[in-house]
Amino acid sequence: MIIREFGVRQGKLPAAQAIADANPRHSRKALAAAAPLRRGPQQCLRALSTETSGTPVATADPAVESALQTNPENPSPVPSLFARVAKPTRRRPVEPDTTKADWETAQQLRRNLLPVGTKVEHRYGPADVFRNPPGPKDVTLELLMASQAHMGHHASVWNPANARYIYGIREGIHIISLEQTAAHLRRAARVVEEVAYHGGLILFVGTRPGQTQIVTQAARLSKACHLFTKWTPGTITNSDKILPGIPVEIVDELDRPVGPAFNQHLMDRRALVPDLVVCLNPLENFTMLRECSQANVPTIGIIDTNTEPTWVTYAIPANDDSLRCLAVIGSVLGRAGEAGQKRRMEDAKNGKVTWETPSEIKQFIEIQQKRARWTKRAAEEEEAAANKANGGPNQSSTPRSSDRSYGRTPSTNKDGTPIFHADEAMAELQAEVDVINAEDDVSPQLRNMMRNLD
Amino acid sequence: MVRGPAQRQIRPARVYQTVTTLMDHRVKPRLAIQQPVWYKVVESIPPSEILTRPFPPQHRQPNPRARKASRLFQPQKLVYKEDELRKKFYTDHPWELARPRMIIEMDGKDALRCDWSKGLRQPGMPLSGECVVQRQMYLMENIPGITEDVAYDQVRKEFYKLRQEEEIERRIAQEEARMVGAYFGQTFQQVGMQLEDQQFERWKRWATREIEKIQGEQTAAYTSFDASEGGADAADLDVDSLREDLESTANIPPA
Repeated sequence: MIIREFGVRQGKLPAAQAIADANPRHSRKALAAAAPLRRGPQQCLRALSTETSGTPVATADPAVESALQTNPENPSPVPSLFARVAKPTRRRPVEPDTTKADWETAQQLRRNLLPVGTKVEHRYGPADVFRNPPGPKDVTLELLMASQAHMGHHASVWNPANARYIYGIREGIHIISLEQTAAHLRRAARVVEEVAYHGGLILFVGTRPGQTQIVTQAARLSKACHLFTKWTPGTITNSDKILPGIPVEIVDELDRPVGPAFNQHLMDRRALVPDLVVCLNPLENFTMLRECSQANVPTIGIIDTNTEPTWVTYAIPANDDSLRCLAVIGSVLGRAGEAGQKRRMEDAKNGKVTWETPSEIKQFIEIQQKRARWTKRAAEEEEAAANKANGGPNQSSTPRSSDRSYGRTPSTNKDGTPIFHADEAMAELQAEVDVINAEDDVSPQLRNMMRNLD
Repeated sequence: MVRGPAQRQIRPARVYQTVTTLMDHRVKPRLAIQQPVWYKVVESIPPSEILTRPFPPQHRQPNPRARKASRLFQPQKLVYKEDELRKKFYTDHPWELARPRMIIEMDGKDALRCDWSKGLRQPGMPLSGECVVQRQMYLMENIPGITEDVAYDQVRKEFYKLRQEEEIERRIAQEEARMVGAYFGQTFQQVGMQLEDQQFERWKRWATREIEKIQGEQTAAYTSFDASEGGADAADLDVDSLREDLESTANIPPA
């Protein structure tokens, strides 16, 4: 302890001397209103110092303290506070700038030491695949083998439905045929790209620990959704209960939000169902795959030798226990989705829309248009009635011919002019809405019938 | 809901057919089912899975004397020529397995960078038993008339020489480092001996305490009697034996 304190004093002494040699104002220059604070230079110094330790020791030195308080040899020539404030002086001791010399020395040292020692070459890092994700064009058998895509499970736990993908047995485990893996991976990448091109909603699912980054990166690349936590059972088949009021946005062909015109539709809209689901671990997500199959959603899954390949629409035979392999596959699919999105946006800029409006939104638009039309005609009828009452001509009440093509033909008068009743029109509209709702209710039954027919 | 790994599902693979049927149904003509986004995609890229049993890739010669086919549809074992060589080398040199080895591959093309005609040392690959096996394979395939044993003998000697070089290099590097002031800690053996000595010292302290205790008891016993009977009783023997133990332990020279 004594030695340490001695060292501190030794170290602090030159600094204190420098402060003492300079004008005492220098040490307190940062305080604009220095006059009242001059009484306690210790507190000032302590407040100004950026050093975490040692400052109290330095200021506790009585010699330094006296030197700080008064300098008899060089008394302050400006007694007034205002004069000091008006003419601030900066008397920091100018140290020579050695930056350039230091840099040159470092470069020289580096040049001299460069040929010395071992040359460390960058071989492999787990984050490489995230820094530079490979695309479908980069898939080679060597890459797949280096990322351990070929290692299956022990031969005793195999699923015989995977016999097509298995090359042989080595050291007791099944070896997946990398030709099959590459072929199926390219096929799946093609599916992802095309679905992205047609504006489909893609979902990447990987719920094992360590798959978070893979899934999020793939989703980011392909502007898709991701899931790395538990799949809540019923998210598709019972979405009205599981996802009530989930925020949905309606965008145009350039992915711009269309504004508040569809707010009424969004309020009573059901949750979206993905158009394609990519699952990295089908074994743990059986429920999700089952729901997808019930909702007729195609799925892509990584099928290890112990997994059932019929759970997914498109199987990618690979090792689902190797994060490196999953990262490669995820990034390939993500890159494919990225390419599809890019193509879609280019086509949209050229005026080609690759998707069609969902039927619910179409119905909503039709109903809105019809409602606006009936409202307009009701207003015209009222105006015509008012004109008739006033004895004026009723020529303006004749409807346009285009209106006849919508809805049922209204009954006509004896002179051929149609009679329009607003309440009748609203009832008709309501009937149509009821029909549409009834059809929505019917559709699950129909689906069940279709399943039985299969 | 069906669970379990062995449950086949037919709907995922038939999603296209299902939706086609749904769209073409005539049960309720006014109910129009919109074509899904993926419909054309799945139509043009159909799924590949067919649940038929394939004939697996064959890796062995069929046995001509076999009367009937066995395990016809099961995957076969992968056997390579190197396996025997590897087995022989590691049986002869089991401690080569104790050396740390990097099994991560960079891009899968690591084997293409090796040229086994040049010798055992290859870029980016430390010397190991795998080098011996690959070099031996190269010799057996490229030198006409060379037998497996001759090739093994030749490569084995190259390997010994390189290992010896490595050992000498390491020793000299160590000497040079010591020369310029480096110091290395104790070896594992020294650490072990030190721990052992500590235990011996502990036992010696305990034994000394025990001797003092017994002697104190003896002294107390003697003071309570007027005259001692003479001769060595049991407690005396105990103390003597303990002391002998102690002396013999203390005489063991430290390693």
